[in-house]
Amino acid sequence: MKHIKFLLALWQANLQGAMEFRAAFFTQVIFMMINNGVYFLFWVLYFDKFNEVRGWDLRAMTLLFGIAATSWGIGSFFFGNFVSLAEVIAGGRLDYYLSLPRPVLLPVLASKSIGSGMGDLIYGAGSFILSGYFTPDGFLRYLLGVLTGVCIFVGFMVIVQSLSFWLGNTTALSQFSIGALLTFSLYPSALYDATTKLILLTLLPAALIGTIPAEFVREFSVQQLFQLTAGAGVFLSAAIFIFSKGLKRYESGSAIQVEV
Amino acid sequence: MNKYLSILSMQVTNNLAYPGDFLGRSISIATFIFIFAGLWGTTFAISDTDAINGLTLPNMIWYFMMAETLELGRPRINRTISEQVKNGEVAYILNKPYNFILYHFSAGLGDGIVRMTLNLIVGSAVAWILAGAPPAPVGWLMAFITLIGAWILHFCMMALIGLAAFIVEETNSFELIYQKLVFILGGFLLPLEMFPAWLQKIALALPFPYMMYAPARLFVKPEMGLFWQMLAGQAIWVAIFVVLLSFVYQRSEKLLTVNGG
Repeated sequence: MKHIKFLLALWQANLQGAMEFRAAFFTQVIFMMINNGVYFLFWVLYFDKFNEVRGWDLRAMTLLFGIAATSWGIGSFFFGNFVSLAEVIAGGRLDYYLSLPRPVLLPVLASKSIGSGMGDLIYGAGSFILSGYFTPDGFLRYLLGVLTGVCIFVGFMVIVQSLSFWLGNTTALSQFSIGALLTFSLYPSALYDATTKLILLTLLPAALIGTIPAEFVREFSVQQLFQLTAGAGVFLSAAIFIFSKGLKRYESGSAIQVEV
Repeated sequence: MNKYLSILSMQVTNNLAYPGDFLGRSISIATFIFIFAGLWGTTFAISDTDAINGLTLPNMIWYFMMAETLELGRPRINRTISEQVKNGEVAYILNKPYNFILYHFSAGLGDGIVRMTLNLIVGSAVAWILAGAPPAPVGWLMAFITLIGAWILHFCMMALIGLAAFIVEETNSFELIYQKLVFILGGFLLPLEMFPAWLQKIALALPFPYMMYAPARLFVKPEMGLFWQMLAGQAIWVAIFVVLLSFVYQRSEKLLTVNGG
């Protein structure tokens, strides 16, 4: 309970920080929504020409985009450091968090908020509503899909970036990982062969963020429910475990850092 | 001229100094080509046809390889200019004995040459595995010539976005939207042949196809008529953007306030 209170206080502080520059914040939000909308035009043009590909049509893609964008939006707005953890570790900026009387990982992740994430969140929710799958049970499945999506996004990126404890600066690897995860998550895995699908469920879990939750919202399936919850549990637990292991190797450069 | 060549060669050397970063970029282009090949491989298989709007599957994969090479190698100087304006570094650069815009042009070109060469090598290897032999030499030649015009157009747009930092604080959002406009109306994700006729006309009246579609399309299906059409379009848009850029730059200089410190 005290962790939740602490988390809420962090989010409140982040929001207050964003409101200090509210014009910049709202610009980022609106532009991100426009950005996503323009990007989605590709699928509008594509399905205008081909109608359907292996069970995927424009409605299903609208849903997939909605789920992936909401998950990414929540991750980046509420746990913004999940994309820059490698820089924090390699730059010796963990010192500040080590002095706090809390588990280290949670405040590190939640102490930064990416304003454009709110644009993704709003776009994603809107895309879900417009997809035509906005029914009471569909909504509950959407919430579950988004929740597991956030856990997998954050968990996967923490695992990749925790390699900085052993390898030094892994910023390039992190940027590649986030790019590959995001891009693959926006394409239905039905396009690929069995080996690639397996990779997209395990090593690069993009299917667990886009395809599987979208299929789960379209039609309830016990197998997909298991895939989503197990995937989220495994990636989150592995992230906490690997980060904790790595933290024992952390060496501070004693540099003077200012956390804002 | 020599000083700009020195800036260019310095930037090339800087890029070659980080082999890890080099490797990361090459993996990126391989991944994107793989995703694209999956989409179009399935689309062609389901459509049960050898060609869609005159383009075959190997055409599509090589098209995307060239487009991705340019996308990953285009200048990103907007971020540098924007940072320099925001942190005040611009004041120290403006009093140096070189032109601010030409300095960024040389530096961006140094970056672009290294990145595009690497992307071309890795991208060609992946595309060759997935789609078979590359297009004919005349395609390479036409692509190379139009790539120059495309790169200059990208540079002008990026510089304009960077200079916007003199007026607005945050310019990354502009870049994102510009990038998506090139993705869609520039024919990056979908060649213009696949567009409905009305959208094709709108796209061709805008600068975006000359920044992306021109080199990628001429690479896979070189046609003399299209080559001259694209080259003429690039010349017109480069002229417009150069005038616009010099006007915006002069206005931006007047907006600059240096507080010392």
